Amino acid sequence: MLTAITRAFRTPDLRNKLLFTLGIIALFRLGSVLPTPGVNAENVRRCLEQAQAGDAGNIYGMVQLFSGGALLKLSVFALGIMPYITASIILQLLVVVIPRLEALKKEGQAGTAKITQYTRYLTIGLSILQSTAFVALARTGQLFQQCQEDVLLNDDVFTVVTMVITMTAGTAVIMWLGELITDRGVGNGMSILIFTQVIAVFPAELVNIFRQNSFAFAAVMVVGVFMIAAVVFVEQAQRRLPVQYAKRMVGRRMYGGTSTYIPLKVNQAGIIPVIFASSLLYLPQLVTTLFAGQEQPNVVVQWISTNLATGDTPVYMATFFLLIVFFTYFYVSITFNPVEVADNMKKYGGFIPGIRPGRPTAEYLNYVLTRLTAPGALYLGLISMVPIVALAVAGASQNFPFGGTSILIMVGVGLDTVKQIESQLQQRNYEGFLK
Amino acid sequence: MIIGISIALILASMLMVLLVLLHKGKGGGLSDMFGGGFSTSFGGSSVVERNLDRLTVITGVVWFVCIIALGLLLKP
Repeated sequence: MLTAITRAFRTPDLRNKLLFTLGIIALFRLGSVLPTPGVNAENVRRCLEQAQAGDAGNIYGMVQLFSGGALLKLSVFALGIMPYITASIILQLLVVVIPRLEALKKEGQAGTAKITQYTRYLTIGLSILQSTAFVALARTGQLFQQCQEDVLLNDDVFTVVTMVITMTAGTAVIMWLGELITDRGVGNGMSILIFTQVIAVFPAELVNIFRQNSFAFAAVMVVGVFMIAAVVFVEQAQRRLPVQYAKRMVGRRMYGGTSTYIPLKVNQAGIIPVIFASSLLYLPQLVTTLFAGQEQPNVVVQWISTNLATGDTPVYMATFFLLIVFFTYFYVSITFNPVEVADNMKKYGGFIPGIRPGRPTAEYLNYVLTRLTAPGALYLGLISMVPIVALAVAGASQNFPFGGTSILIMVGVGLDTVKQIESQLQQRNYEGFLK
Repeated sequence: MIIGISIALILASMLMVLLVLLHKGKGGGLSDMFGGGFSTSFGGSSVVERNLDRLTVITGVVWFVCIIALGLLLKP
């Protein structure tokens, strides 16, 4: 393991990429702690402390997680990658609905590039909306509800507009930083940035728990290590469908005749379902904050705020779980098309032993995938329930550091990045990180 | 002074958004995030892209300096 790291740093090409990635991450963190001009950083800090003392500071759980605590600090990069994620989700869903986008997606590289471009435009649009909303909340003092201090230095329109525009530009910069990592660094930029933000809140949380109760700290560490191992285990698990390729004569050469396999991962969808579900469930919370000032809330709003706004009600847990299961199936169905795979196999003379090529193969693939996704979906659902259940049972702090989603993100992105580094290492040398 | 820098910041921000949008998006959005598929990155960018990069970096620096200056000026 250690020799692999030194070898990675000894390869000039890879070293540059790693250092570049680290540099971008440092810039990103700097922007996440730099307060937007016009924000009274002193008061914000005081309000944050108050909010953490009570536990109402966690209304924005998921967004807060993705922004690494930057959101409530009202920093330049307060919105983080959330607008980009939301935009991507929206476009993913639209691809299924709008025929033009579907045609673009089938076009291959050029079409995908166009969809990416739409995602970028939508990101800017969303970030304008979100930054306006947050600055407005901060201005009226609803961002920290119990805190009496003024969060903004002065709330004339000009300052507020400057703040909104700065935050929007911040989101654009984040998007660019992510793309730079994808382009010239290691791994996928956006996921590495999310990874950074998730990791960034970790040490503080752990120290917090340690101060409160050292026994709980030990318990959390043990549970955490166990969970990480379990997640790695499931993430790596795959079902291998054997594929036999027939021998073909092309001219005087003999091709094929090999036997390989199609790897079907148990968790084919990755952590995207969890992100989808959390983003959707964030909407009711947003609605309740918007209506928070009303004297006589209407019945629907009341129901939402008692059942869906906090994470520890049975309705919330059930909805979350069901949404995750649904989105797992949904996402697997968009990313893996059995008919296409079967057609490709048929084209190159491949077949699964015992099953005829063409439609029966597609049906078989579909059957296996559907059965395989069932445990995958359950696993995703259960893992994401862990923090909620831990909260209900043990009364642990809201920011339970080994929250399911953060572990999934950490392990998923970590594994992916290590695999990419490894594949680059293998260009020179065979032994890598993962044996 | 404050108003001047604010205006500079607004202009720099708008330019920043514009320049970032002018870049060709790298990476296929969410689909290759979190380990779905692998992205192929083509090495070597055109002269246009390189100049755009340079321009974006310069604007970014100006933007950053504006933020810090305004932040210091607005301190209570």
